[in-house]
Amino acid sequence: MLLTAITEGRATLGDLRQLEELSAMVAATSLCGLGQTAPNPVFSTLRYFRAEYLSHIEDGTCPAGVCPMVGAETAGVTTTQVNP
Amino acid sequence: MTSDVHTLTIDGTGVVGTADQTVLEVAAEHGIDIPTLCHLDGLSEVGACRLCLVEVDGGHRPALACMTRVEEGMTVTTHNDRLAGYRRNLVQMLFLERNHVCAVCVANRHCELQDLAAELGVTHFDLPAIYPNVGVDASHRLFAIDHNRCIMCTRCVRVCDEIEGAHTWDVMGRGLAARLVTDLGTPWGESDTCTSCGKCVQVCPTGALFEKGRSVAEGAKERRPFLPYLKVRRS
Repeated sequence: MLLTAITEGRATLGDLRQLEELSAMVAATSLCGLGQTAPNPVFSTLRYFRAEYLSHIEDGTCPAGVCPMVGAETAGVTTTQVNP
Repeated sequence: MTSDVHTLTIDGTGVVGTADQTVLEVAAEHGIDIPTLCHLDGLSEVGACRLCLVEVDGGHRPALACMTRVEEGMTVTTHNDRLAGYRRNLVQMLFLERNHVCAVCVANRHCELQDLAAELGVTHFDLPAIYPNVGVDASHRLFAIDHNRCIMCTRCVRVCDEIEGAHTWDVMGRGLAARLVTDLGTPWGESDTCTSCGKCVQVCPTGALFEKGRSVAEGAKERRPFLPYLKVRRS
Protein backbone atom coordinates (compact mmCIF):
# COMPACT_ATOMS: atom_id res chain seq x y z
CA MET A 1 0.00 0.00 0.00
CA LEU A 2 2.83 2.39 0.87
CA LEU A 3 4.73 1.34 -2.24
CA THR A 4 1.61 1.83 -4.39
CA ALA A 5 1.27 5.35 -3.01
CA ILE A 6 4.88 6.05 -3.95
CA THR A 7 4.48 4.71 -7.51
CA GLU A 8 1.39 6.86 -7.99
CA GLY A 9 3.07 9.98 -6.67
CA ARG A 10 0.76 10.40 -3.67
CA ALA A 11 3.32 9.55 -0.98
CA THR A 12 4.95 11.82 1.57
CA LEU A 13 8.32 11.65 3.26
CA GLY A 14 6.43 10.37 6.31
CA ASP A 15 5.26 7.38 4.25
CA LEU A 16 8.87 6.64 3.33
CA ARG A 17 9.90 6.81 6.99
CA GLN A 18 7.02 4.50 7.91
CA LEU A 19 8.02 2.06 5.17
CA GLU A 20 11.56 1.91 6.55
CA GLU A 21 10.34 1.54 10.13
CA LEU A 22 7.88 -1.24 9.29
CA SER A 23 10.43 -3.11 7.20
CA ALA A 24 12.96 -3.02 10.04
CA MET A 25 10.31 -4.18 12.50
CA VAL A 26 9.14 -7.07 10.34
CA ALA A 27 12.72 -8.22 9.77
CA ALA A 28 13.55 -8.03 13.47
CA THR A 29 10.42 -9.57 14.99
CA SER A 30 9.47 -12.34 12.56
CA LEU A 31 9.66 -15.96 13.68
CA CYS A 32 10.71 -17.62 10.43
CA GLY A 33 13.03 -16.85 7.55
CA LEU A 34 10.18 -15.79 5.26
CA GLY A 35 9.34 -12.82 7.46
CA GLN A 36 12.96 -12.04 8.24
CA THR A 37 13.84 -11.71 4.56
CA ALA A 38 10.54 -10.38 3.20
CA PRO A 39 11.60 -6.70 3.57
CA ASN A 40 14.93 -7.29 1.80
CA PRO A 41 13.76 -5.92 -1.59
CA VAL A 42 12.73 -2.71 0.18
CA PHE A 43 16.06 -2.50 2.01
CA SER A 44 18.17 -3.05 -1.09
CA THR A 45 16.22 -0.70 -3.35
CA LEU A 46 16.35 1.95 -0.65
CA ARG A 47 20.10 1.47 -0.33
CA TYR A 48 20.87 1.69 -4.05
CA PHE A 49 17.95 3.73 -5.44
CA ARG A 50 17.00 6.09 -2.63
CA ALA A 51 17.26 9.03 -5.04
CA GLU A 52 14.53 7.47 -7.20
CA TYR A 53 12.24 7.08 -4.18
CA LEU A 54 12.82 10.74 -3.35
CA SER A 55 12.08 12.01 -6.87
CA HIS A 56 8.80 10.05 -6.80
CA ILE A 57 7.86 11.69 -3.53
CA GLU A 58 9.31 15.20 -3.76
CA ASP A 59 9.15 15.92 -7.52
CA GLY A 60 6.28 13.62 -8.51
CA THR A 61 8.37 12.13 -11.30
CA CYS A 62 9.50 8.61 -12.12
CA PRO A 63 13.08 8.82 -13.49
CA ALA A 64 12.77 5.38 -15.10
CA GLY A 65 9.45 6.24 -16.73
CA VAL A 66 7.83 3.10 -15.37
CA CYS A 67 5.43 4.28 -12.67
CA PRO A 68 1.96 5.58 -13.60
CA MET A 69 2.25 8.61 -11.24
CA VAL A 70 -1.51 9.14 -11.64
CA GLY A 71 -1.86 10.67 -8.19
CA ALA A 72 0.82 13.33 -8.63
CA GLU A 73 -1.42 15.90 -10.33
CA THR A 74 -4.27 15.30 -7.91
CA ALA A 75 -1.88 15.75 -5.00
CA GLY A 76 -0.71 19.03 -6.53
CA VAL A 77 -4.28 20.31 -6.92
CA THR A 78 -5.07 19.42 -3.31
CA THR A 79 -2.02 21.33 -2.10
CA THR A 80 -3.00 24.50 -3.93
CA GLN A 81 -6.53 24.27 -2.60
CA VAL A 82 -5.35 23.88 0.96
CA ASN A 83 -2.83 26.72 0.68
CA PRO A 84 -4.45 29.40 -1.53
CA MET B 1 23.52 -29.22 40.07
CA THR B 2 25.58 -26.13 40.74
CA SER B 3 26.71 -26.09 37.12
CA ASP B 4 23.06 -25.58 36.13
CA VAL B 5 22.96 -22.22 37.87
CA HIS B 6 23.78 -19.29 35.63
CA THR B 7 24.45 -15.68 36.47
CA LEU B 8 23.44 -13.08 33.94
CA THR B 9 22.68 -9.39 33.69
CA ILE B 10 19.19 -8.08 32.95
CA ASP B 11 18.90 -4.30 32.54
CA GLY B 12 22.15 -3.80 34.44
CA THR B 13 21.09 -5.93 37.40
CA GLY B 14 22.96 -9.14 38.19
CA VAL B 15 20.47 -12.04 38.45
CA VAL B 16 20.61 -15.79 38.89
CA GLY B 17 18.65 -18.45 37.06
CA THR B 18 18.79 -22.16 36.35
CA ALA B 19 19.49 -23.61 32.92
CA ASP B 20 15.89 -24.74 32.38
CA GLN B 21 14.50 -21.25 32.95
CA THR B 22 13.68 -18.70 30.29
CA VAL B 23 14.79 -15.08 30.37
CA LEU B 24 11.14 -14.13 30.92
CA GLU B 25 10.84 -16.34 34.03
CA VAL B 26 14.08 -15.10 35.56
CA ALA B 27 13.14 -11.48 34.86
CA ALA B 28 9.73 -11.97 36.49
CA GLU B 29 11.35 -13.55 39.57
CA HIS B 30 13.50 -10.45 39.94
CA GLY B 31 10.66 -8.00 39.47
CA ILE B 32 11.55 -6.96 35.94
CA ASP B 33 8.39 -6.55 33.88
CA ILE B 34 8.52 -7.67 30.24
CA PRO B 35 5.29 -7.09 28.30
CA THR B 36 3.62 -10.21 26.89
CA LEU B 37 0.20 -11.38 25.76
CA CYS B 38 0.57 -15.03 24.77
CA HIS B 39 2.59 -16.15 27.82
CA LEU B 40 0.67 -17.59 30.76
CA ASP B 41 2.28 -19.24 33.79
CA GLY B 42 1.55 -22.96 33.69
CA LEU B 43 1.12 -23.22 29.92
CA SER B 44 3.70 -24.03 27.26
CA GLU B 45 5.32 -21.15 25.36
CA VAL B 46 4.52 -20.44 21.70
CA GLY B 47 6.14 -17.07 21.06
CA ALA B 48 3.05 -15.88 19.20
CA CYS B 49 2.68 -12.29 20.33
CA ARG B 50 6.36 -11.29 19.85
CA LEU B 51 5.99 -8.60 22.52
CA CYS B 52 8.55 -10.01 24.98
CA LEU B 53 11.40 -9.38 22.54
CA VAL B 54 14.63 -8.36 24.26
CA GLU B 55 18.16 -7.60 23.14
CA VAL B 56 20.68 -10.27 24.13
CA ASP B 57 24.34 -9.18 24.26
CA GLY B 58 23.39 -6.15 22.18
CA GLY B 59 22.45 -8.50 19.34
CA HIS B 60 21.20 -7.05 16.08
CA ARG B 61 18.11 -9.27 16.00
CA PRO B 62 16.01 -9.24 19.18
CA ALA B 63 15.30 -12.59 20.85
CA LEU B 64 12.04 -13.62 22.51
CA ALA B 65 12.39 -13.63 26.30
CA CYS B 66 9.82 -16.43 26.59
CA MET B 67 11.71 -18.74 24.22
CA THR B 68 15.30 -17.96 25.25
CA ARG B 69 16.93 -20.08 27.96
CA VAL B 70 19.30 -18.30 30.30
CA GLU B 71 23.00 -18.72 29.65
CA GLU B 72 26.05 -17.94 31.73
CA GLY B 73 27.15 -14.34 31.41
CA MET B 74 24.47 -13.17 28.96
CA THR B 75 23.54 -9.50 28.99
CA VAL B 76 19.87 -8.78 28.41
CA THR B 77 18.24 -5.43 27.69
CA THR B 78 14.47 -5.52 28.14
CA HIS B 79 13.60 -1.88 27.56
CA ASN B 80 15.05 0.71 25.18
CA ASP B 81 13.73 3.01 22.49
CA ARG B 82 14.12 0.47 19.69
CA LEU B 83 12.25 -2.29 21.54
CA ALA B 84 9.57 0.16 22.66
CA GLY B 85 9.04 1.17 19.03
CA TYR B 86 8.70 -2.45 17.91
CA ARG B 87 6.28 -3.18 20.76
CA ARG B 88 4.12 -0.15 19.96
CA ASN B 89 3.96 -1.19 16.31
CA LEU B 90 3.11 -4.79 17.23
CA VAL B 91 0.31 -3.74 19.57
CA GLN B 92 -0.97 -1.32 16.94
CA MET B 93 -1.07 -4.13 14.37
CA LEU B 94 -2.95 -6.38 16.81
CA PHE B 95 -5.57 -3.67 17.18
CA LEU B 96 -5.91 -3.03 13.45
CA GLU B 97 -5.93 -6.64 12.29
CA ARG B 98 -9.40 -7.25 13.76
CA ASN B 99 -12.10 -5.05 15.24
CA HIS B 100 -10.98 -3.94 18.72
CA VAL B 101 -13.37 -1.20 19.77
CA CYS B 102 -13.01 -0.96 23.54
CA ALA B 103 -16.19 1.04 24.13
CA VAL B 104 -18.43 -1.81 22.98
CA CYS B 105 -16.38 -4.72 24.38
CA VAL B 106 -17.25 -6.86 27.42
CA ALA B 107 -13.60 -6.81 28.47
CA ASN B 108 -13.36 -3.02 28.56
CA ARG B 109 -11.05 -2.10 31.48
CA HIS B 110 -10.36 -5.80 32.07
CA CYS B 111 -8.37 -6.35 28.91
CA GLU B 112 -4.68 -7.13 28.71
CA LEU B 113 -4.44 -5.73 25.18
CA GLN B 114 -6.03 -2.47 26.26
CA ASP B 115 -3.79 -2.22 29.33
CA LEU B 116 -0.71 -2.94 27.28
CA ALA B 117 -1.62 -0.26 24.75
CA ALA B 118 -2.00 2.23 27.59
CA GLU B 119 1.27 1.14 29.17
CA LEU B 120 3.20 1.40 25.90
CA GLY B 121 1.67 4.75 25.02
CA VAL B 122 -0.17 3.67 21.87
CA THR B 123 -2.17 6.87 21.54
CA HIS B 124 -3.10 6.65 17.87
CA PHE B 125 -2.87 4.34 14.87
CA ASP B 126 -0.94 5.39 11.78
CA LEU B 127 -1.48 2.21 9.78
CA PRO B 128 -4.64 1.34 7.85
CA ALA B 129 -7.18 -0.90 9.59
CA ILE B 130 -8.21 -4.23 8.09
CA TYR B 131 -11.42 -4.82 10.07
CA PRO B 132 -12.48 -8.10 8.45
CA ASN B 133 -15.91 -9.47 9.25
CA VAL B 134 -14.92 -12.71 10.95
CA GLY B 135 -18.12 -13.48 12.79
CA VAL B 136 -19.29 -14.62 16.20
CA ASP B 137 -20.02 -18.15 17.41
CA ALA B 138 -22.65 -17.99 20.17
CA SER B 139 -23.89 -21.56 19.74
CA HIS B 140 -22.53 -22.69 23.12
CA ARG B 141 -24.97 -22.71 26.03
CA LEU B 142 -22.74 -20.73 28.42
CA PHE B 143 -20.03 -19.03 26.42
CA ALA B 144 -19.48 -17.24 23.13
CA ILE B 145 -16.51 -16.32 20.98
CA ASP B 146 -16.26 -13.06 19.07
CA HIS B 147 -13.51 -13.71 16.53
CA ASN B 148 -13.30 -9.96 15.87
CA ARG B 149 -11.61 -9.48 19.25
CA CYS B 150 -9.27 -12.47 18.98
CA ILE B 151 -5.53 -11.76 18.80
CA MET B 152 -4.51 -15.40 18.10
CA CYS B 153 -2.47 -15.73 21.29
CA THR B 154 -3.64 -19.39 21.48
CA ARG B 155 -3.87 -19.35 25.28
CA CYS B 156 -7.31 -21.00 25.00
CA VAL B 157 -5.91 -23.69 22.69
CA ARG B 158 -3.13 -24.51 25.15
CA VAL B 159 -5.20 -24.40 28.33
CA CYS B 160 -7.83 -26.64 26.73
CA ASP B 161 -5.22 -29.15 25.61
CA GLU B 162 -2.67 -29.03 28.42
CA ILE B 163 -4.79 -28.37 31.52
CA GLU B 164 -8.31 -29.54 30.72
CA GLY B 165 -7.10 -32.26 28.36
CA ALA B 166 -10.02 -31.79 25.98
CA HIS B 167 -8.27 -30.12 23.02
CA THR B 168 -11.50 -28.65 21.76
CA TRP B 169 -9.80 -25.50 20.47
CA ASP B 170 -7.37 -25.37 17.60
CA VAL B 171 -6.17 -22.97 14.92
CA MET B 172 -7.28 -23.14 11.28
CA GLY B 173 -5.62 -21.31 8.40
CA ARG B 174 -2.54 -19.11 8.29
CA GLY B 175 -1.65 -15.45 8.51
CA LEU B 176 -4.61 -13.11 8.16
CA ALA B 177 -6.87 -16.10 7.43
CA ALA B 178 -6.05 -17.83 10.73
CA ARG B 179 -9.08 -18.55 12.92
CA LEU B 180 -9.78 -20.40 16.12
CA VAL B 181 -11.97 -23.44 15.60
CA THR B 182 -13.71 -25.90 17.89
CA ASP B 183 -13.64 -29.56 16.91
CA LEU B 184 -12.38 -29.17 13.33
CA GLY B 185 -14.75 -26.34 12.56
CA THR B 186 -18.09 -27.49 13.94
CA PRO B 187 -20.01 -24.88 15.95
CA TRP B 188 -18.91 -24.64 19.59
CA GLY B 189 -22.39 -25.63 20.83
CA GLU B 190 -22.24 -28.90 18.89
CA SER B 191 -18.76 -29.80 20.11
CA ASP B 192 -18.46 -33.34 21.50
CA THR B 193 -15.16 -32.69 23.26
CA CYS B 194 -15.95 -29.42 25.05
CA THR B 195 -16.50 -29.96 28.76
CA SER B 196 -17.87 -26.44 29.29
CA CYS B 197 -15.20 -25.88 31.95
CA GLY B 198 -14.71 -22.24 30.99
CA LYS B 199 -10.92 -22.25 31.27
CA CYS B 200 -10.57 -20.74 27.79
CA VAL B 201 -12.78 -17.84 28.84
CA GLN B 202 -10.69 -17.26 31.96
CA VAL B 203 -7.36 -17.16 30.15
CA CYS B 204 -8.44 -15.06 27.16
CA PRO B 205 -6.52 -11.76 27.40
CA THR B 206 -9.19 -9.84 25.47
CA GLY B 207 -12.97 -9.98 25.17
CA ALA B 208 -12.90 -12.61 22.41
CA LEU B 209 -14.09 -15.38 24.74
CA PHE B 210 -16.75 -14.37 27.22
CA GLU B 211 -19.53 -15.73 29.36
CA LYS B 212 -23.02 -15.20 28.01
CA GLY B 213 -25.15 -12.73 29.89
CA ARG B 214 -22.30 -10.30 30.54
CA SER B 215 -23.12 -6.80 29.41
CA VAL B 216 -20.67 -4.17 28.28
CA ALA B 217 -21.68 -1.87 31.13
CA GLU B 218 -20.64 -4.43 33.74
CA GLY B 219 -17.08 -4.38 32.45
CA ALA B 220 -16.49 -7.99 33.47
CA LYS B 221 -16.61 -10.82 31.02
CA GLU B 222 -17.00 -13.60 33.57
CA ARG B 223 -18.84 -14.11 36.83
CA ARG B 224 -16.18 -15.67 39.04
CA PRO B 225 -12.68 -14.73 37.95
CA PHE B 226 -10.01 -17.07 39.27
CA LEU B 227 -6.34 -17.53 38.28
CA PRO B 228 -5.05 -14.85 40.67
CA TYR B 229 -1.72 -14.78 38.85
CA LEU B 230 -3.44 -13.39 35.78
CA LYS B 231 -1.92 -9.97 35.81
CA VAL B 232 -4.30 -7.26 34.74
CA ARG B 233 -2.28 -4.16 34.00
CA ARG B 234 -4.63 -1.59 35.31
CA SER B 235 -3.05 1.69 36.32
